[in-house]
Amino acid sequence: MKLTRRAMIKDGLLVVSAGMIMPAIFSRGVASARAQALDGSRLAQSANDRTLIVVQMAGGNDGLNTVVPFTDPLYLKLRPTLGLSDTKVLPLDTRLGLHPNLQPLKKLWDAGHLAIVEGVGYPNQSLSHFQAMDIWQTLDLNGNGSQGWLGKLVSGLVDQEGHPFKAIDIGVQTAQALQSISTQVPTIANISTYRIYPDPVDTDGGNARLQALMKLYNSYPGTAPYAALLDTTALSAQDGSRQLRQADVTYHPAATYPKGPFADGLKVLAESIVQGLGLRVGYVTLGGFDTHANQQATHDVLMLTLANGLSAFYNDLAAHGKADNVVVMTWSEFGRRVDENGSQGTDHGTAAPLFVLGNPVSKGIYGEPPSLSNLDQNGNLKYTLDFRSVYATVLDRWMGASSKDVLGGSFGIQNFLPQA
Amino acid sequence: MDLDTDMYDDEPTHPRKSIKPQPTEPQIEMEATQEFMPAQSMPTTPRAQGTPTVPLQVTVVIPPPAASVSRRKFMGVSVAGLTAIGGAGAAAAIGGVAMAKWLQNDGLGDVSHGPMASNTQIGHLLRRAGFGATPDDLTMYRNMGFNGAVDRLINYQKVPDDDMENRLKALNINLNSPLNQQRWWLLRMSWTQRPLLEKMTLFWHGVLTSSFHKVGGSRAYMRMIIQNQFLRSHAFDTFDNILLGITSDPAMLFYLDLTKSRKNAPNENYARELMELFTLGLGHYTQRDVYEGAAALTGWHVKGLTSQYYPQDHNDLVKTYLGHTGNLDYKDVINILANHPATPWFISRKLFTFFAYENPSDDDLKPLVDTYVQSGHNMGEIMRTLLLSSQFASTKAYRGRIKSPVEFTVGAYRAMNINGDGTGLPAITTLMGQALFDPPNVAGWPGDKVSALWLNSGTWMTRLNYIDLLLARGTVARTGSTPLVDLQGIVKTHQLNSPEQFVDHFSSFLLDSELASDRRTQLLDYFTAQGSSARGAPITLGNGTSYPLGRVRGTLYLMMSSPEYQLN
Repeated sequence: MKLTRRAMIKDGLLVVSAGMIMPAIFSRGVASARAQALDGSRLAQSANDRTLIVVQMAGGNDGLNTVVPFTDPLYLKLRPTLGLSDTKVLPLDTRLGLHPNLQPLKKLWDAGHLAIVEGVGYPNQSLSHFQAMDIWQTLDLNGNGSQGWLGKLVSGLVDQEGHPFKAIDIGVQTAQALQSISTQVPTIANISTYRIYPDPVDTDGGNARLQALMKLYNSYPGTAPYAALLDTTALSAQDGSRQLRQADVTYHPAATYPKGPFADGLKVLAESIVQGLGLRVGYVTLGGFDTHANQQATHDVLMLTLANGLSAFYNDLAAHGKADNVVVMTWSEFGRRVDENGSQGTDHGTAAPLFVLGNPVSKGIYGEPPSLSNLDQNGNLKYTLDFRSVYATVLDRWMGASSKDVLGGSFGIQNFLPQA
Repeated sequence: MDLDTDMYDDEPTHPRKSIKPQPTEPQIEMEATQEFMPAQSMPTTPRAQGTPTVPLQVTVVIPPPAASVSRRKFMGVSVAGLTAIGGAGAAAAIGGVAMAKWLQNDGLGDVSHGPMASNTQIGHLLRRAGFGATPDDLTMYRNMGFNGAVDRLINYQKVPDDDMENRLKALNINLNSPLNQQRWWLLRMSWTQRPLLEKMTLFWHGVLTSSFHKVGGSRAYMRMIIQNQFLRSHAFDTFDNILLGITSDPAMLFYLDLTKSRKNAPNENYARELMELFTLGLGHYTQRDVYEGAAALTGWHVKGLTSQYYPQDHNDLVKTYLGHTGNLDYKDVINILANHPATPWFISRKLFTFFAYENPSDDDLKPLVDTYVQSGHNMGEIMRTLLLSSQFASTKAYRGRIKSPVEFTVGAYRAMNINGDGTGLPAITTLMGQALFDPPNVAGWPGDKVSALWLNSGTWMTRLNYIDLLLARGTVARTGSTPLVDLQGIVKTHQLNSPEQFVDHFSSFLLDSELASDRRTQLLDYFTAQGSSARGAPITLGNGTSYPLGRVRGTLYLMMSSPEYQLN
């Protein structure tokens, strides 16, 4: 019996003919797709229902003005106009304080739900946005990777029923971190447009037309250009839009989200968690951190946007009794130069802190803030903690996955999440 | 499979969510504070002490957050705005094409450069070197033959475009608004008789890119149009002239901070991108070249909507840049770059990927590189070489890329001869992943390089819904007003006498008549199925038989939502 396209997708197996014009990720042969699918089930060795939310701060966040070493005299010396003085920061301990607009995160800290991982980076850090983003997302330190670390994880999570919402990416283009060969992650700009409209004159609500359309996709020859991509896209959209729409009808956020696309995106992720769509990995991006000039006004707004969004997200989940089941982590492709430049901005840097928050998190500062006096030849911080160690902790201790298999090596575990 | 039956009763009104930040306070970058003031002593802002003298690594600027335009406000039309997509326009009749079923062709095969070209050849050419075909386009370009068609596309000056200009003028669009700028350009692409000129301008916009988010605030939005007009008027010029022009372009000066560069405090931003993203690519220069190049490029500053070179703000020390030593200035930098051996390969790869297919081999690029050298860096001649190459006509190229959001949106608008005001089009392309004048970063759109990135579940549904909008919702369908696409009129004009003729007519200019017979049968089955779809005035074919409106336009929807139609 000939396998239907759907059956193949169920088994995590896509038929992709070789030599087609596609990105590497869609142009592998059947054999490697099968190997990947098997690999996937291994990665998801111990299934649980916990959720990880990944927040990308795109453009290179100024870590020094996010978690501020406010008692280090070098800090204000190197940041004569941009530096945040001790009267402004929200102190966490005797060394470090949060940016004043991160008050909502300070609240989570006080409640014991925030961890800060300091000095995160990797050897020979790239100062190129694009190469640095590639490295963080694909783990290939040469910047030539194609599969994302979360994509590898998610491909192992898609179960036999093919739940479309094991992962959701907020936006119009799927993040590289979520790229995988066997699974397509639903990419949602907003719920109201994540649906297929029927023709108003069709009295069946568009059923017949949609069925005919799906047949055109299902019968599109597998050897034709982009067949696998087109078919999985159509299936993912059709399954997902229906479920999401049904979920949307009965979802009532229990917190007031600030206006704006970042918080809107977090709300979609909260909704999918609260409504039990099976979300394991959510991804949302906040951009605009590339502050080469006139940094302060921009960075202030971004800090506020980040903190208010995450706070509303947490409160919404808590009110729905889901806060014990969700962990949020942030990342940015690099921090910024220690000394400010001549345009009241900062140039591309290296190591930076990141946040991990949620009820399951063990409050504290992990890793070591890099020295401001022992800089590299470009005037940048020397990293103290490998980013893959953060990933490993999240994978092993939270997702119940095998970090060794996802990351292709052992990078040490941090204690911001308790041992299972 | 089921859909909620109430869907069409609640048009979404939520504004688009953007992944970009949305500042709650405007931070207008006032151009007065950024502009070079000749009276001032220089430099005013020396670098902080401790700045490393060793040139730094490659930097790429991602524009700051939507500073001067609220994204919510900007995109506020969202899908609610889509209902007004066609404005008050009525469908124009599609002119008299004979309804012969074109001969099918095995892909492009060996493209015939003879007197007559096939639907496949011309359809492919016009999709790549333009935005697809109307029935009239198809007939006219076929009759010219493939070579003649390429000539017409490249020698655009000989083709009058007054009709398009007049239609745009009549809309009286205020161009000092990003949304209107997008609408204005999308309509240009839809209506132009010079499709390659607009396509080439789009190509340049994705390479030598700038964004309205960082162009000097709301008073300076026109800089984007000025840049756009520059790229258009020099689209086929020498690469040297294009690089010279973009270096002194007001929007670019602001976008990549060259206007902030000072004689004694050169800003490295533009110097870096000029090499990494515009001419050479990574690996062909050192950090020293970035630093020295920045010094050589000093002197240019924005001045309102223009720019000016101030010799007194040019760093006139001796520099060594890519092996050349002297008191180099911007003209030297451009000259060195345009004549660098890596440059023709770099720009040819960009062109080939955009117009033909991804991951070209060196053999694919060699003819373009040779033309670059032999023609004195003339981009028009390189385009001619590309369009007449066997690679361009190969089955690998045919339907070898996913349509970009602009190609999809404009392609359908153009093919259906929509005579609207374009309201809603910007929101649609944005939701599909491409907002003109607003690239995601200085590297342009990733989908221009790997076209599969244009497609995911969300953007796919936006494509479908856009087609639905054009065909069924462009005006309030249930009130009986004239729809954007007048199907009964088309049936009459083209004397479509049967469901087969209907499908074949639209297949000719939408799908190059390249529609496998079993898939054609699926469409005919849908067209002729009994039951349902009682609403709306039926469509009567030339043979006198009437079919439910939903079935007729549903068939067209299926064609324009099909896998084949997603491909370029």
